[in-house]
Formats: sequence, C-alpha cells, structure tokens
Amino acid sequence: MLKQEAIDLLAKHRNGAISVTTMQAAAPWHLAGQTSSLHCEASLCMGSAASLGLGIALGAPKHKVMILDGDGSLLMQLGSLVTVAGQKAANYYHFVFANGYYESSGNQRLPGTGVFDFPALAKAAGYAGAFSFERAADLNTELPAIFKRTGPIFVELKIARDDATPRWALVPMAQMVRKLKSELAP
Amino acid sequence: MITSGPVAISIAGHVIADAIVELGVTHVISVPDTNLRTVLALLEARPVPQVMYVCTEDEAMGINAGLYMTGHKPMLLIQNNGLYACLNTLKAIPLDAEVPTFMLIGQFARDVNQRPEESPKRAVNRLEPTLTTWGVPFVRIEGPADVPKIREAWDVAWTTNGPSAAIVGAPTH
Repeated sequence: MLKQEAIDLLAKHRNGAISVTTMQAAAPWHLAGQTSSLHCEASLCMGSAASLGLGIALGAPKHKVMILDGDGSLLMQLGSLVTVAGQKAANYYHFVFANGYYESSGNQRLPGTGVFDFPALAKAAGYAGAFSFERAADLNTELPAIFKRTGPIFVELKIARDDATPRWALVPMAQMVRKLKSELAP
Repeated sequence: MITSGPVAISIAGHVIADAIVELGVTHVISVPDTNLRTVLALLEARPVPQVMYVCTEDEAMGINAGLYMTGHKPMLLIQNNGLYACLNTLKAIPLDAEVPTFMLIGQFARDVNQRPEESPKRAVNRLEPTLTTWGVPFVRIEGPADVPKIREAWDVAWTTNGPSAAIVGAPTH
C-alpha cells in the first residue's frame, strides 16, 4: 500500500487516540489534519517515538496511544520493543511504516532488509499481538478489531518506496509538548 | 595534582533515597549505575516512586517526557557512560523540546581520592565538560553535606523546563 493510504486509514480509525509520530510519518499525519490536539512528535530524535509514546501510555492509561513509527527509526532503538512489552501497556498501539529504506536521508537501504521480521521480533519481545498488512483494504477491515485488543500491539504497515522529497513537520516539538501537556495535565 | 585522602565520601543509600522521595518523584527511570545500586535497591523496596528499568538512556528520556506530559514527576538515574550514550536525545527532548529532565548520575570508575578533573579516565573527567558543552546545569554530590543540592538541581530542571544533573561522586553504601 502507499504510505498515504495507511495514513488516511489510521486517521479514519483513530477515534480520539493520542498520536505520536516521527520522521517521515510526521508531515503526512500533520497534513491529514491529525495534529491539532492529543498529539506529539518525536522530532530530530530518531528512534524515540516508541519510548515517548510509552511514557504517555503509562501516564494516561485511560487513553489509547498510537505510535506512528518508521522501520529505520525503530531499528535505531530496537530495545524499545522489550521495554514496551515489559511495561505491559494495555493502551499502546505501535504502527511501523516499513519499506526497507531510510526515507529521510534519500532512500538508502536499511541493514537487514528482507532478512529481519518485525512482527516476529515484537512477538518475541513480548507484545500482546503483532500483525502485518500489505493491502489497504485489509488494514481498513482489521483496524477496528486491532484497537479493541489489549496492548501492547504491534502493526507493521508494508508500504511502497516513496521517492518524494522528505518532508518535515513545521511545528517545533517544544510547542507540541506544551500543547499535549495542557490537554492531559493542565 | 594528587590530593591526600578522599575527595568524595560515600553517602548512605537511604539518605539519597529519602531525598528523592521528598522531591515528590513519581518514577525513577534507570539504566542502572553500579555506584548507586544501594539507592536503587532501597527505592525498589518502596511503593513510590516506581523504579522502571529500561534498555537505554535514550528510552529513559523519551519515557520521562511522556510521563511529564501526563502530569507525573519522573527523573532519571544513570551513570556517566550513559550520558554519553544519549547525547542526541538530550539535544532533542530535554533541550529542544523543553522537558524537565533531572538526572542523578553516578561517577562510575572514579577514584574517590581524585577530583573528577584529575581522573585519567575519560568516563570520569569528560562528564562535567560534556554537560557544560550542552548547557546542562549540574551540581556535585561529593558527600553527605551536599545532599541538599539534589533538590537545587531538581528545582532547576522544573523551573527552566530543561535538563539538570546531580553527580554523585562516590559509590553509595
């Protein structure tokens, strides 16, 4: 599927969840109108979306928290899978856009592309469930059930290579931090 | 210059643990430090704060930020080498994103008879220059008389919305 198709479906099924984005998921999520509330971005700290989202999930257990991560980003802090699973955050939904490329730096190949298996890694780390989707139609069908499951849940989104110029969100992270804190803990 | 006698004096773990509790800390996020192991053991035995072990100091800073945004009062407990391991995240989250991030840092591998700047070990002698380079305020906790400085450093993090550090110079007992 295309990244934009996945973004549109995640937005469609968000249903009030807090969102955390990073790297090349950030701008499309912003352009989809999903960042005006209950949102934060892990800006310029590749790999930190999972842990940022975990802190939010643990601190706000009544909210569902969806993390929009990238494959290269997650590889940079892969141990986060173990930390997330160890905390057993029931409200944690980890979506990873996976096409095997470092999009932000010009589509260089990731190490181990075609060899490693993200859902298997997540399951082995202790996630309560792990899924992979290649077709938008399947993702659209399954997302409501996925959000009803007890987390932490891992969802690999197999997307096509994107040769568009990398885009960056325009809102400084400090501004997003202040906004989300004002919404969750004024 | 080699000084005579210890420069850093061991502090009882419960003294530092009590100081942390008095700050109102809700979560201690840690990649463990050898020198502060007695503090961690004592904190683990208490219901609050919650001690949370993580894989990397990068993760600790991310979780700290998430807990902060949801109204909690977390802190980090790490060692000198851990600070070096997470400099990009230090730049991005505590500094650029303006998140209060108080770090209790153990001076792992320090000879307590030497001042940190006299140590031949880079793990020890580069800690304060690294914090200074990144504009992170810090205090030295060189003995029991310095324990009140932990609150000073904590307050700096929460009044500036940024990072601060208290460096514990000797292994606790």
